[in-house]
Amino acid sequence: MRGLFKGLIGTVAAAALTVTGTAKTDDDTIKFALLQDFTAVYTFVTDEYNQGQRDYLTLINEEGGIDGYTFQALVRDTGNEPQRGLEAYNRARREGAVLVDFLSTPVSRAAVSRVLRDEIVMITVLHGRGDASDGTTFPYVFPMMATYWSQAAVLADHIEQNEDGLEGKRIAHVYIDSPFGREPVPVMQELAERKGFEYRTFAYPSPGTEQSATWSDVRRYRPDYVMIWGAGGGQPVSVREAIRNGIAPERILSVVWMAETDARTVGTDVATGLKRFEAVATGTDYPIMERIMETVIEPGLGTGDSENVGTTYYNIGVASMAVSVEAARLALEEYGGPLTGEKLRDGFRMIEDYDAEGMMPPLTFSEEDHQGGGFGRISQWNGEAWEPVTDWYASYQDIVWEEIEKDAAGFREGR
Amino acid sequence: MFYRLSGVHHTRYETARQLWPIPADRWQVWILLALALGAPLYMADLYLTSYMLPWLVWSAAALSLTLLMGVAGQLHFGFAAVMAIGAYTSIHIARAGWPFEIALIGAGLTAAVIGCVFGAAALRVKGLYLVMATLAMQYLVDWVIINVPAISGGAQATLQTPDVTFLFVPMQGDTALYYGALLWAVIVTVLVLNIKRTSFGRALVAVRDKDYAASIIGVNSFKYKLLAFFTSSFLGGVSGAVLAFCYYQAVTPEQFGFNVSIQLVAMVLVGGLGSVIGAYLGAGFVLLAPIFLTNAMAYAAIQGWLTVSSNLLAHIPLMAYGALIIGFLLFEPLGLAKIYDNIRKYFLVWPFRHSGS
Amino acid sequence: MAYFLELLVNGALTGLMYSLVALGIVLIYKSAGVPNLAQGAMVMLSAYFIWMFTAMAGMPIFVSIGLAVVAMFAFGLLAERLLLRKMVGQPIIMIVMLTLGLEIFLRGVGPGFLGAAPKSLDLGIPLTPIIVGDVFINRDYLIGGIVAVVLIGLSLLFFRTRIGTKLRAVSDDHVSSWSVGISVERAIGISWGLAGISAVAAGALWGSVQGVDWTLSALLFPAIAVVILGGLDSIIGVLVAGLIVGILGSVIPGYVDPIVGGGTRNVVTSLIILFTIMLRPHGIFGREDIERV
Repeated sequence: MRGLFKGLIGTVAAAALTVTGTAKTDDDTIKFALLQDFTAVYTFVTDEYNQGQRDYLTLINEEGGIDGYTFQALVRDTGNEPQRGLEAYNRARREGAVLVDFLSTPVSRAAVSRVLRDEIVMITVLHGRGDASDGTTFPYVFPMMATYWSQAAVLADHIEQNEDGLEGKRIAHVYIDSPFGREPVPVMQELAERKGFEYRTFAYPSPGTEQSATWSDVRRYRPDYVMIWGAGGGQPVSVREAIRNGIAPERILSVVWMAETDARTVGTDVATGLKRFEAVATGTDYPIMERIMETVIEPGLGTGDSENVGTTYYNIGVASMAVSVEAARLALEEYGGPLTGEKLRDGFRMIEDYDAEGMMPPLTFSEEDHQGGGFGRISQWNGEAWEPVTDWYASYQDIVWEEIEKDAAGFREGR
Repeated sequence: MFYRLSGVHHTRYETARQLWPIPADRWQVWILLALALGAPLYMADLYLTSYMLPWLVWSAAALSLTLLMGVAGQLHFGFAAVMAIGAYTSIHIARAGWPFEIALIGAGLTAAVIGCVFGAAALRVKGLYLVMATLAMQYLVDWVIINVPAISGGAQATLQTPDVTFLFVPMQGDTALYYGALLWAVIVTVLVLNIKRTSFGRALVAVRDKDYAASIIGVNSFKYKLLAFFTSSFLGGVSGAVLAFCYYQAVTPEQFGFNVSIQLVAMVLVGGLGSVIGAYLGAGFVLLAPIFLTNAMAYAAIQGWLTVSSNLLAHIPLMAYGALIIGFLLFEPLGLAKIYDNIRKYFLVWPFRHSGS
Repeated sequence: MAYFLELLVNGALTGLMYSLVALGIVLIYKSAGVPNLAQGAMVMLSAYFIWMFTAMAGMPIFVSIGLAVVAMFAFGLLAERLLLRKMVGQPIIMIVMLTLGLEIFLRGVGPGFLGAAPKSLDLGIPLTPIIVGDVFINRDYLIGGIVAVVLIGLSLLFFRTRIGTKLRAVSDDHVSSWSVGISVERAIGISWGLAGISAVAAGALWGSVQGVDWTLSALLFPAIAVVILGGLDSIIGVLVAGLIVGILGSVIPGYVDPIVGGGTRNVVTSLIILFTIMLRPHGIFGREDIERV
């Protein structure tokens, strides 16, 4: 017991050290707080995503920064727990962070009212509240890429183009039984009414490791297309069950959470033909990625396994930081330093047709639109890699914005 | 020396029966209370809002659970669900335009009623089976919250807390929220301290130690088990509501998941079953240890003392946290409260090593 | 009808795959009286071991499984020796929390050292289903079900061997086993080792179905339903209860989900646990505890 007590004192001492050691601020660094979930629910994406973000910031710093400013990433694990996320947020705010990225829906949702009050930009790339696309209600929250509503619309549009119309088609929507899985349902229902196709939802229980009962039902529905809406370990299970139940991979359309690992778990050959929504291009054949390889990875400045460079989630991480750095650049150009949350927000709103040198669709933000247009494209697994099969496009933004405005109005009324 | 026992003579029953008969304990409590009351004056807002406030609310929740698990001996692995019921009830009542005071009482009552349903299992089984039954109910409550949009709040499944006033004080700003949490923690502490020395508390202890034996001496163990669930769930429900309004300011289903139930049990066990000070220490440990460990690791990495991959870096606190829980159970099963007690006993006879008797 | 049959068959097979996880819990509870809530994490750890041997050391999959069996047997022995043996005589809640602490620890170790992103395990089971009439049978689950039945059968046989007889004696009464010269500690250690081995089977099969990451430890919940229903100390109970939990968890959601519009399987699993505990706490085949004042 005595040893344990000493150990406890040691821990407290170490903690006290961290408390005193971190309260310094440098005026020529811009701090981005990447307070993410490395250990709980989002583990399937966080590692590669965060690596991409930090490698991009390293690239910018190696290239001399922006206007003499360099970037610093404050990285902490939140374990998907709101109380740890809020602590990390308050700490980062004290250290002068102007942007936070939680990559965790529960933490982001608990932090919304705080970032609005503290005037710090929060990016919610492919997570968080979809209605935060409404920039007038959520001035400091930037979903930045297509919301789940936009993704559903893009996928539906793809079916429409492939099949010459949606009239009379059957679309099965198989999702994990959680608010995230159910999010696109209203948009799809509205579309089904407008376009006259049949639409049915099938939920499988969380965490999605076993879905056979659901898919027996899906097979009997005889859908023309299946949209799968899950994340992590549930995704390969969905694809395997779909293929096993005689649904051709070409007719399976996935939400953005489908990566190389998932295709490998399904089996690289079996998965050939599988389609997914893509918000950011995959691979290393883009100028930014080539520069990262040259300036960051080859000299050994990378933050993780170099095999991850160019994977789906790595590139999403790179793109999220590319947009943020672009916003910082515009803000510094317009207002000069030092950068604050308010300036950075205006920087975001000044972004026009920015496509990260070809890596992503041209994004334009405005005071109203924080989603950036809701663009995406369809890519297909060709046995080795994800290969784009369409151009960047956005669809049915009118329906999407109806949803955004409905929920944002709810938020304004204190819901 | 600090605990001067000589010369302290209780000449009336009231003084011998008071909560802290030893003057040293009394002034320690007063100092702590003064420190807590003055915290907004001397504490930076980071520490006030990210450490003190959640610690107080979680301590209140751990106290509610320790009343059930430590005093009454009924194991509960679904206490986060009870808190969720309280949080959701209060937020819906407040949003319907009722006063916050009523929302809090409503939260407590709803949680207590549903908590008694959990308790129904306790009338039939105990020990491990009760653990499993409450765990199953946790899953059921989670499922209902997630699958009924009217409860969880529509497509976003997030409910923002409306602006409320408590006893004519608007609950806005760090200071007001902090005092709200502190008030609740003090109320629960005083209540639990007093329950432990009333006939109710003694009956609970009798049921805990052996329910058959208790019924032989005339304690209705059915009634007291249910009462224990009722009281504890009431307090837990209000704690959930206070957590939602004073700390999270938004409620999502994930905030009260199964892992939170485990954390609550860990708070009670690491603190020491049935101990009031243990609930505070345990809540502090379980809540703050991962945060301190994460920050310590990050600091070590920035200083270059620790060169490992960021993935491993993020997982070291998790390992250490698991190892600490194991370590406590192995080496000090009576928890942090026992460590406190050892220190206190040492000072009771200081400067001698042992008391004469 | 075919729909019902398909739900029935696939449900039964998945239920047997849950039994693989549950078997470890029962083996330990039977001899030591310890409810091992870290069994899910042990399944995860086994899957990580297999992945480590195949992907990092480049060994064939079945060699890796063999090595994982050795590693997990050793792990079981160590966990018992270093942790659980010190907890003898403590209240049940302490032991439950200790295994949960072990679970948290393992969830840090596995993903921490080997990477948190999901890994894939390929056992070479073809994806095409076996089609009988209009009923599609899942090959992964079929093989999993067969492995589960074989392992449960082996466990039953094992309890008829010399060591097995000792284990049965230990499960009856620790003190009287000591008095006739049985090493209770070793018997409990062996049962932990066996639980480690059953975790390898579960880890390999579930890891190939869903990929290897920490979510494998979430298999604990259905496994708990299986052990509660079957009886905490009954091996044959694992088989029967696995079938029941699997079938109910497949057939009921198959018909109710479209009406409710949500996944009801966790509800079914929770209700199985609750009803068992309310009606027959010791499960179908379990031994009733007699409590004395």
